[in-house]
Amino acid sequence: MTDESPVIELKNLTKVYQNGVEFRTLDNANLRIKKGEFVAIVGPSGSGKSTLMHLIGLLDTPSSGTLLIDGKDVTKMSDKERSGMRNRILGFVFQYHHLLPDFTALENVMMPLLIAGKSREKAKDVAEKLLKEVGLEGRMEHRPGELSGGQNQRVAIARALSCSPAIVLGDEPTGNLDTKTGDMIYELLRRLNKEYNQTFIVVTHNEDLASKADIIIRLVDGKITVQ
Amino acid sequence: MRYELLIALRQLRARKFQTLLSVGAIALAVMILTVSHSLLLGVTGEIYNITVDKLPHVSVSPEEGEDYIYLYGTLVGRIGSIEGVTAVSPFLTGQASFRFKDNSLNCELRGVVPSQENEISSIEEDMVEGSFQEIEFSRNTVVIGSKLAEKLEVNPGDSVDVSFPNANLLSLRVVGIFHTGSPLDEVLAYTSLGTAREFYDASNAVNGVSVRLRDFNRDTEVANEIKKLGYNAKGWTETDPAILRFIAIESTSNAVIYGLIVVIASFGVVSTLNLSVISAKGQIGMLRAMGAQVSGIQRIFILQSGILGLLGALFGTFAGVLIALAIGQYEIPADPSDVYGSISFIPIVVRFQDIVFIIFAVFLLNLITGVYPARQAAKLDPVKAISSK
Repeated sequence: MTDESPVIELKNLTKVYQNGVEFRTLDNANLRIKKGEFVAIVGPSGSGKSTLMHLIGLLDTPSSGTLLIDGKDVTKMSDKERSGMRNRILGFVFQYHHLLPDFTALENVMMPLLIAGKSREKAKDVAEKLLKEVGLEGRMEHRPGELSGGQNQRVAIARALSCSPAIVLGDEPTGNLDTKTGDMIYELLRRLNKEYNQTFIVVTHNEDLASKADIIIRLVDGKITVQ
Repeated sequence: MRYELLIALRQLRARKFQTLLSVGAIALAVMILTVSHSLLLGVTGEIYNITVDKLPHVSVSPEEGEDYIYLYGTLVGRIGSIEGVTAVSPFLTGQASFRFKDNSLNCELRGVVPSQENEISSIEEDMVEGSFQEIEFSRNTVVIGSKLAEKLEVNPGDSVDVSFPNANLLSLRVVGIFHTGSPLDEVLAYTSLGTAREFYDASNAVNGVSVRLRDFNRDTEVANEIKKLGYNAKGWTETDPAILRFIAIESTSNAVIYGLIVVIASFGVVSTLNLSVISAKGQIGMLRAMGAQVSGIQRIFILQSGILGLLGALFGTFAGVLIALAIGQYEIPADPSDVYGSISFIPIVVRFQDIVFIIFAVFLLNLITGVYPARQAAKLDPVKAISSK
């Protein structure tokens, strides 16, 4: 695969919620995202940003249309195949870090590797390296309860990167942090994106942050416009 | 270590108080189960000892259409050579009418070889007056049950008149009285084989053979082997099925009641785990995002339930065995009413294989009850779970 072929491709992707009345959260979306791009998804609340991200993240299934990730049609995969894809190809950072409270920062970063079936030793090596990368070498043995919001979010970022995913998805990763910490996290994501040449897709409310992305996808009422 | 087990163990350790409560509840239930089971086994064993031990394990009767077994010496020899047979006693028995002064009663008069009969029914242990062997040494003597003696108002040394239609009238001297504590005391009298032959007019024949086995559970098997020799034979399970029925009913009702207690304790675990599923929604969603399969999420909760069950079963059986053994040390105070008979300690039997079975069964039960909270966790929509906090 050359750098020019898209790592993510949406063809007429539609998601309809039937909750009494039909509600199109995503309407015939077409989109190609290439390897290494840093993509920001912006738009008002309820415009379908999160739905788009959950579909790309294989956490939700589309009502119609096709979604190709790494050239493979993922819309008809089983739970096992989708789980495997999430584990190997996708990394997630959410608004809430959702770290496991009973595990240390190091163990939390190791978790995706353990789910992948890697040995503890191997997982520990990778996790230590990543925690250093996000500037937490002194906090590896701390539990989420003993870390600040920004620190926990950095642990979550290290965790998202642990299986060297092709795509890192962020759903308002800075939404829960103060502006200064948020900027710092954003810079970290941008730096990691350049360093590892991974594709980053970040949903954000923050127009300032979005303006620093390679591509901005604007969603209004389920319709996509690319800038 | 698999990540499911790692997470399960860590969550149990983090929720120390709930874990302790769950394990404690199961342990308590299992402890009660273990103690009651040990008591039941002990009592059952004692019932076997009291009843089956004194019964002939196999009873042989004449061939179809015959009244007597002739040439019984050969038969006794052949039965004696069957593997597992420890004693064989031929007897000649029938009805007899006992009369002493104005008192008259019908009962069974059984002619036996005392030394051989004693190995079957241990009657010598039950002699309260006189000697059982005496019937062999002096002619025309009899040993009678205590209730029978009471009703006839006879004492050792008295002579009773014994008669029956088609039998020869005899005068037998009472040389001993036995007391088994069973209904036999009222309906049975022993005499020698020779005296019985004279009474029933049956020369050189018997009408039954009692057999004792090393293992009384093999009664049907040995009975079938004796049948091959051309005689009628029945094991004690066939002649006295009421004993087995009583024990079976007792064991079943016990197992049901205490099994239910364990089930209730296991349901406590279900509600605890359900709560932990609700409080860990976000983490479960995140694990799904990290690539954990639905089955992996289920395993985390089934494992937790199973581990709680296993710990509860281990502690419960340990405590239960200790308590059961302690109860077994308790000496029953001598009771003049003789209600406990020869039992001087509370009977307790702790069987290793039963303990292993209890542990395994409780573990399995908890794996099964863990399925419900596991399903709840697996049913969570990852999208909704992740947005919850």
